[in-house]
Amino acid sequence: MSAVHIRRVGRVTTVRAEIRKLAAFLRRDLLVALSYRMSFVSDWIAMVVQVVVFNFVGRIVRPDAIPSFGGSRATYMEFVAVGIAVSSFMAIGLGRVNTAIRQEQVQGTLESLLLTPTALTTIQLGSVVYDIVYVPIRTSIFLVLTSLVFGTSYHWSGLPLVMVVLLPFIPFVWGLGVLAAAWTLTFKRGTGVIGLFATALALGSGTYFPTDVLPGWAESIFRYSPVTIALDACRRALLGGAGFVDILGDVLRLIPFAAVTLTAGVIAFRMALDRERRRGSLGLY
Amino acid sequence: MDTRIIGLGVPAESVATPAIAAAGLVRSFKDNRALDDVSIRVMPGEIHALLGPNGAGKTTLLKILSGLAAPDEGDIQVLGQAGHRLMTRDARAVVGLIPSGDRSFYLRLSGLENLMFFARLYGMPKRQAASRSWDVLRAVDLEAAAKRQVGVYSHGMQKRLSVARALLMDPPIMLVDEATHDLDPEASRTVRSLVVTARDHGAAVVWATQRLDEIRGFADRVTLLHEGRVRFEGTVPELMAVTVPRRYLVHVRGRAPLHVAARALTGIASLTGSEETEEQFLLVLEDGAGLGEAIVALVGAGLELVACREERSEIESAFLFLVRGTS
Repeated sequence: MSAVHIRRVGRVTTVRAEIRKLAAFLRRDLLVALSYRMSFVSDWIAMVVQVVVFNFVGRIVRPDAIPSFGGSRATYMEFVAVGIAVSSFMAIGLGRVNTAIRQEQVQGTLESLLLTPTALTTIQLGSVVYDIVYVPIRTSIFLVLTSLVFGTSYHWSGLPLVMVVLLPFIPFVWGLGVLAAAWTLTFKRGTGVIGLFATALALGSGTYFPTDVLPGWAESIFRYSPVTIALDACRRALLGGAGFVDILGDVLRLIPFAAVTLTAGVIAFRMALDRERRRGSLGLY
Repeated sequence: MDTRIIGLGVPAESVATPAIAAAGLVRSFKDNRALDDVSIRVMPGEIHALLGPNGAGKTTLLKILSGLAAPDEGDIQVLGQAGHRLMTRDARAVVGLIPSGDRSFYLRLSGLENLMFFARLYGMPKRQAASRSWDVLRAVDLEAAAKRQVGVYSHGMQKRLSVARALLMDPPIMLVDEATHDLDPEASRTVRSLVVTARDHGAAVVWATQRLDEIRGFADRVTLLHEGRVRFEGTVPELMAVTVPRRYLVHVRGRAPLHVAARALTGIASLTGSEETEEQFLLVLEDGAGLGEAIVALVGAGLELVACREERSEIESAFLFLVRGTS
């Protein structure tokens, strides 16, 4: 055999190749999701049930308890629908990255993945790319469904602005998710703690009810939560018809949070992986 | 026992660059020293058997060579790449690992889909990934089961799928961990012949096993590990030459009078067996005595010798000698 050397490829080629790999992850998870047909169907049933439940809850909520956005007062159903839509993105970041890495570890495929010439970021992103595609579709259908069945009204022109808000928000929750994945890689357990944290963040930041019903101390803490900022901006765009300039401040406030959690997440995950390699316990769970 | 025997034969390729060169590897897990000053060199086009009982350190060594675990001390070079760079993307493309366990596939996906997924992670475009996956599925004789979920594959089929995955990229280095551990003889032969083909195409193969029978005529060189230390390094004939066989099964025609035979062998060998029912005896040579001498004595005593064979294979004897310190 002639001498074989480890080939180095250019950065642009590498980035392009890594992006192409995301399609493989997407296909893999789509096939896995389809193989669990009942779970796939029950997810949609759960969504419908959720909508119905919140509709009934909305009937007992005083209309004046819901804040107004852009001068018009939203119904509880409208308020919570946007909350659920945004928090579903939070669930991808916080829950799915961590769960996906854990799943790879448990089913024994993590080592096989790490042996391929795939970047860690691609593996992390790839493990949730299906959700990244699926959740916006599910969320859009959710909003349309509430609109058609319960007569909720949205400023659909605010949808592109929601995307702008999500631009720094997704990296923020993504960073948290990667931090959580580093935790799981290291301590093998901990999804309960992470779930608790995600629930607390969702509740305190106003997904299901306005933050002003919280005790004073909690309200003053959660007022600065990036989730509260993102939710408020999305509600103003979708329910109050706010323009780009109105939400720009919120977007700018989210950027430092995203930078911090993303950097911390990437560093923590690398450290966790190196630690597991040193300990030889990468495949243990 | 702290025996370390280095084979006398120096491979002709020793002057060439080894595909794998590891020296002085040390790896501990808490109080357990899994590897203690382990060195190994594997040339391109060589099957290097890593022999040892359970817990000898074989899997740990393979994990270190693949970059999945890091050594506490020691140097590794894989295709000239230093150990600390083994987890880089480019380096990972050159190593094909066949892990010992079943759990390395997505059970809800078919064998074909699994391979296509990994092929694409190795950088193949979709169409090429599909065609290459079919090629390797055919090579491991899994074409008919290609579209079945891996969850319903037998252990042997999953192992062959592991081999197929390792072959996807024609890697110049293959690390194989207990590949035939619990496969039937036919499946074992298939796996071995695939590895031989890879070797013939120039791959450097490290084949970890505790099955002694499979290394003869298969492995080019052997490293025997025991309790994390290298007990032997050399060729298979050199391994077999470590011990002189001393225990033989002797088959005589008709019912043999044991006491007659035993008397004839006085000072040469001891003989055990049942005089009533057995036609076979276990003959154990005394120190310094030769087999020929024992046979002459038996024939001289009027016994008709039908067959005589070693109780254990030479490899097994050598293995036990090196591991237990007894022949």
